[in-house]
Formats: sequence, C-alpha cells, structure tokens
Amino acid sequence: MHYSRAHIWFVGPAVLLMFVILIFPILLAGGISFTNYNLGNPSFDWIGLENYDKMFSRKTYIKMIWATATYVLIVVPFSVVIGLCAAMLLNSLRFGADIYKTIFFLPVMATLLAMAIAWEFTLHPTMGLVNSFLANGCGGMREFVLGFHWLPWVNSNASWYHIACENNNDFPFWLKDRGYAIWTVCFIGVWQAFGFNMVLYLAGLTSIPRELYHAAEMDGAKSTWEQFKLVTWPMLGPTTLFVITITTIRSFQVFDTIEVLTKGGPSKSTYVMMYAIFEKAIQQNLTSIGAAITVVFIAFVILLTFFQRYVIEKRVHY
Amino acid sequence: MGTIKLQNINKSFGKTEVLNDLNLEIKDGEFLTLVGPSGCGKSTLLRIIAGLEQQTSGDVFIDNKNVNKTRASERDLAMVFQSYALYPHLTVRRNLETPLRLRDYSGLERIPLLGNLFPNKKNKTKKIQDLVHKTSETLKITELLDRKPGQLSGGQRQRAALGRAMVREPVAFLMDEPLSNLDAALRVHMRSELSELHANLKTTFIYVTHDQAEALTMSTRMAVMIDGKLLQLDTPQQVYDNPSSLSVAQFVGSPKINTIKGSINSDGTVKFLNLELHRTSSIKNTNVIIGIRPEHLEISKDHADNSIEGVVSYRENLGSDMFFHIEISGDNEKLIARGTPQLTSSISIGSKVFVKRLKGEALLFDQSGSRIKFTSDN
Repeated sequence: MHYSRAHIWFVGPAVLLMFVILIFPILLAGGISFTNYNLGNPSFDWIGLENYDKMFSRKTYIKMIWATATYVLIVVPFSVVIGLCAAMLLNSLRFGADIYKTIFFLPVMATLLAMAIAWEFTLHPTMGLVNSFLANGCGGMREFVLGFHWLPWVNSNASWYHIACENNNDFPFWLKDRGYAIWTVCFIGVWQAFGFNMVLYLAGLTSIPRELYHAAEMDGAKSTWEQFKLVTWPMLGPTTLFVITITTIRSFQVFDTIEVLTKGGPSKSTYVMMYAIFEKAIQQNLTSIGAAITVVFIAFVILLTFFQRYVIEKRVHY
Repeated sequence: MGTIKLQNINKSFGKTEVLNDLNLEIKDGEFLTLVGPSGCGKSTLLRIIAGLEQQTSGDVFIDNKNVNKTRASERDLAMVFQSYALYPHLTVRRNLETPLRLRDYSGLERIPLLGNLFPNKKNKTKKIQDLVHKTSETLKITELLDRKPGQLSGGQRQRAALGRAMVREPVAFLMDEPLSNLDAALRVHMRSELSELHANLKTTFIYVTHDQAEALTMSTRMAVMIDGKLLQLDTPQQVYDNPSSLSVAQFVGSPKINTIKGSINSDGTVKFLNLELHRTSSIKNTNVIIGIRPEHLEISKDHADNSIEGVVSYRENLGSDMFFHIEISGDNEKLIARGTPQLTSSISIGSKVFVKRLKGEALLFDQSGSRIKFTSDN
C-alpha cells in the first residue's frame, strides 16, 4: 500500500509557525528566567530560582504583586457589576438606548493612552478640574453634599471636605499621593472597562427568551428582584463567566494608564506587573528578571483560564 | 371555582387591530379551546386572560371579580407555554417547586440559610415536597425529578411544564399550543392524556391551538376565532355540523369543505352545476355558495342519476380513508370526496368518476359567507 506524506505538508507549516511565534518565545522566557542574562551581555550563568526568590522576597516585587492584586480585585467586580446594571437599565429603555450605548462604549473605543492624558489633566493636584471644582465649593453646596454633611452622624466641622478647605484647599493629590494613586488608577480602570462588559451583557440579555419572564410572572415572581434571581442571573451565567475571565485578563495586563499617569509610583504603589516587566526588561535591560515576572504573569493567566474551564464552566451551562 | 368572563375586549398594537370587541364566557370546569389560523389573535387573547398583556379596552372577570388591574402573578392562573419555558438551570423538581416556593414562603423565609431559622418553614417545605411528589406521580415523571430540562426529551419537558402548572392547583389552566412542538404520534397520544387530566382535575382549561383536530377532539366547547373576531362558540360537533359562516366551515374539518357556486331561484330551489338540492332555501333569488363536506359525497365508477361527473386528479390514501380530488367535467370547479379504500381501490388518477351527494348534508352560504337556512331547518 502506498502512503502519501501529503498530510505533513498540510499540518507542518501551521505547527512550525505555532512553535516559532507562540510556544518558543514562552519557553525562551522560561529559560531566561533561570539565568542572569541581560540584553547585550556576551554570556550568562544559570542561577536557578534566584530571580523568583527575589520576586517573592524583595519589597519592590511584593509591592508589585500587591498593586496588581488590588487593581484586579477592584476593577473586575466593579466593572462587571456596573456593566450589568448599565446593560439592564439600557435594556429597559424604549428609546435613547443607542445614545447611551455609544457614550458608555466611548472609553473602550478611544485609546487608553489618549484618555489617560486627559485624566492626567483632570486630576492634576492644583490646576486639575477635579480639585479646582472642590476648592471652589468650599463652604457651599458641594461641601454639604460631598462632605456628607447631610448624614445626621457627620460632624460638619470635622468632615474630610471641611478639613481640606480649612487647610488651604488641601485636597487629595490623587495620582501623586501614595494613599490615593492605586485607587484613582482603579477608578479609571473601571471607567474604561465597564462599557465593554455592558455590551457583552446586552448581547446576553437579548438572548434570554421572553417566555421565561412570563413563566416567572405566572409562577408568582412579582418583584423585579425575584425575576432577576430566577431568570436573568442564571441565564446570564455563561456571559458572566466570559465577562469575568476577559476583564480579569485585561486587568492583569493594565499598562497604558500606569505608564502615562504614575510610572509605577508614588513609591511603587501602582507598580503593576506589566509595568514591572516593561521597566525591568526594556528600560533597565534586566532581561532575566523581566522574564521571571513574565512567567509568573503567564502562570496567573493560565491558572485562571483552567479554573474557568474546569470548575465554573460546568455550573453555568445547562 | 373557575369562571372567566371577557367583555368587549379590544386590543391593538399601534394601528394594527388584533382583537375586535370580543365577548366570551367560560364556564367552571370547562375545556374551552380557542382555535383559529395563525395571526387570528388567539394567543393574544390568552395572554390578556393571563395578565401578561393589557387589553386596549374591555374587562376581564375571573370568578366574577374584575381583574383588569390585577397582575399576572396575582390572578392565580397557571400557564403552559409553547416552548415550555422551564427554568433550564433548575432540576425538574426545583421547576415544580418554584411556583409553590414563591407563593408559600414569605420573603424572609426565602433567604438562603437564614430562612431555615423560621419555625414554619419546615412544615411548608414538607407540604411543598408532598405536592411535588403527588403531581409527579400523576404525570409519571417521578424518575425525572432530578434531571435538568436539557436532559429531557420533548414529551418529558412537556410533562414537566404541565407539572409546574398543576402543582399549584390554580383557578384555571391556560395552554398556549402546548403540543405543537411534539412529533405527530406523541401529539395524538397527549391529546387523550390531556382530556383525561381535565376529567380528573375538573379545573377550567383554556387551550389555544391552530390545529382544528386538537380542538375537535379535546374540547367541551370550542371558540373559533378568525381575524380577531369570535365567529362561533359551541360544542365541537355543533361547530362542525352547523358552522355559523363559511370561514368557520372552511377552517374546521380536514380536508376542507367543498364549496361550489350555485343559485336560488324564485321558489327557493337551490341549483348548482346540473343538480338541485332537495331542500328549499328560506331566501330566494340570489347567488349562493354551497358547502359539502368530503364525507358527504359518494364516489363510484358507475353512472348514476343526479350525480356529478369528473376526473380524479389526485388520490390521498390515509389507510382508513381515501380522499379523491376530482376535477368536474365541463367546469372549473374541484371537489374532494371521501371513500373507503376497499370500495374505491379500482379508482386511480385519471379515472372518470361519478359523485353522488348524501341527502340533507349540504350547507348554504350567501356571497359574504353568512349561513342561509333551509326552510326545513326550523
């Protein structure tokens, strides 16, 4: 019998390309992470796990993991919940939904870099829109509302707003303050991400059969909340899973805002992984440590994907 | 009790009028079928009764109480949907429990974990489980209780949906073409099962279908709707034998009733083709349409007096019955006649045949489609 070797020619190029441009670089990064190789060096030594050891013991890298975790854990839940709420609100609108969709989706379409520059101006400690808005409001309505003076238990002379006004308009420096920077970056992250989630949820909502809501109504689910619990939320399960996975991976990858707004500072409070890789491997030519961070980063993402694939997927598909 | 009364119901979507001044009274324990061609507004009417749709004007009464402003969830009706609309993420058991949980537990008792602290919840849970068990036994779905709807066949899903409606013992069941997603054999089987269920439960059933066979086989009374109007409300036999108009006569019965143009002369004699009817009409001197059902025609190859001559153009063999499509010689009209396979086996396509009609079975309609009575009808 004559065997043709044609199949090798069909499969070969694809396999080769996959190895050269996808798998090989990852393996290379893995290999480099066990050396002390720096770009431009003529030679290198194997140093085993030293790079990883550094990562989990040196303060800088602890801060890196801390900043990344904070960013992911804030941006994912907030952008998912806000995205879902926005989608449900838009879904209930009879007209005007398209306008809102466009507005909410704008931050997704625009380049984050340009948006980050706009945010930098807005949040500038002295000249920025936010702080001048706050400063001009001292003693007025803005102080009453934003200082929570309307809550009975807030002492209007001790509110954060009042104190800031007293101290010569000492409002937060937002991106320049260690205590605020990561939260401000998170806020921008949520602002940027929720529009995308909203669009995914809108698609998910339209695929829920209307008869299920009617069945729920006939079964006695009177309130919107009961119908949400009985129909909307379970039926959105697959969408939610996808939205969470995508948002988590994208949050791990945050870079543009950090590069433009904080450069990882102040005192490494916004030193997220992607920025760390960029700084070490590209700016400082410390290729090996950059490779080690990359490996940890990829491990995180793969772990997450597996978790999604094998643990949660079974629960959301019926 | 389960009486439902509809008074002057109108419904329009924008400029399209779907229901037009509809009045209907449904008796307690009745199996009422709303039947009509698709787009006649029967599903809309059912949804108005359910409260899922608001009528443009008119009143709905359930047990003599006006429910215009009552929400669907508070009308105490149960509905079986065409697509079954089972909750896909819940097991059949949970699907059946849902209407009971939503009604019997208070809001606080439904809170996960914390809800179990309420002393009454245990009793209620026991009651719910008993009811679900009882219903599943009636419908023979006990062994399916722990499966999810996705793992069930069409017929099993249908039963589960029925179970979810039954478990609560509602005032009336509303069914929106529940059998249309089943295969033909199962559909016929479920007809008898639904009738049986109705006989056991003695609850009011309101059943929407476009299939006149379902309406004829199951209902106590059937309401024929065409173009948003209720044309006739009567027992299936009456609707079949004594249709109020040509459209009802044409809709009910398969194959369709034969219609032939004819005329009435001055003494009330009805003439058509080369024949005349035995009975005389109460109206005189007009053109009419004569309706004769296929089973009221006799077909044979032998020449007979007072018969219509024609050629067989198509033969439908249903096993028990044989339907012949006949082109009438020297005329553009077509007839369908029923024969028994034994007696008509020699008649094939292209055969020349003679069609005789049975006495006293023809129906008369005027040009607009309304019934004309024979003088002997009263």
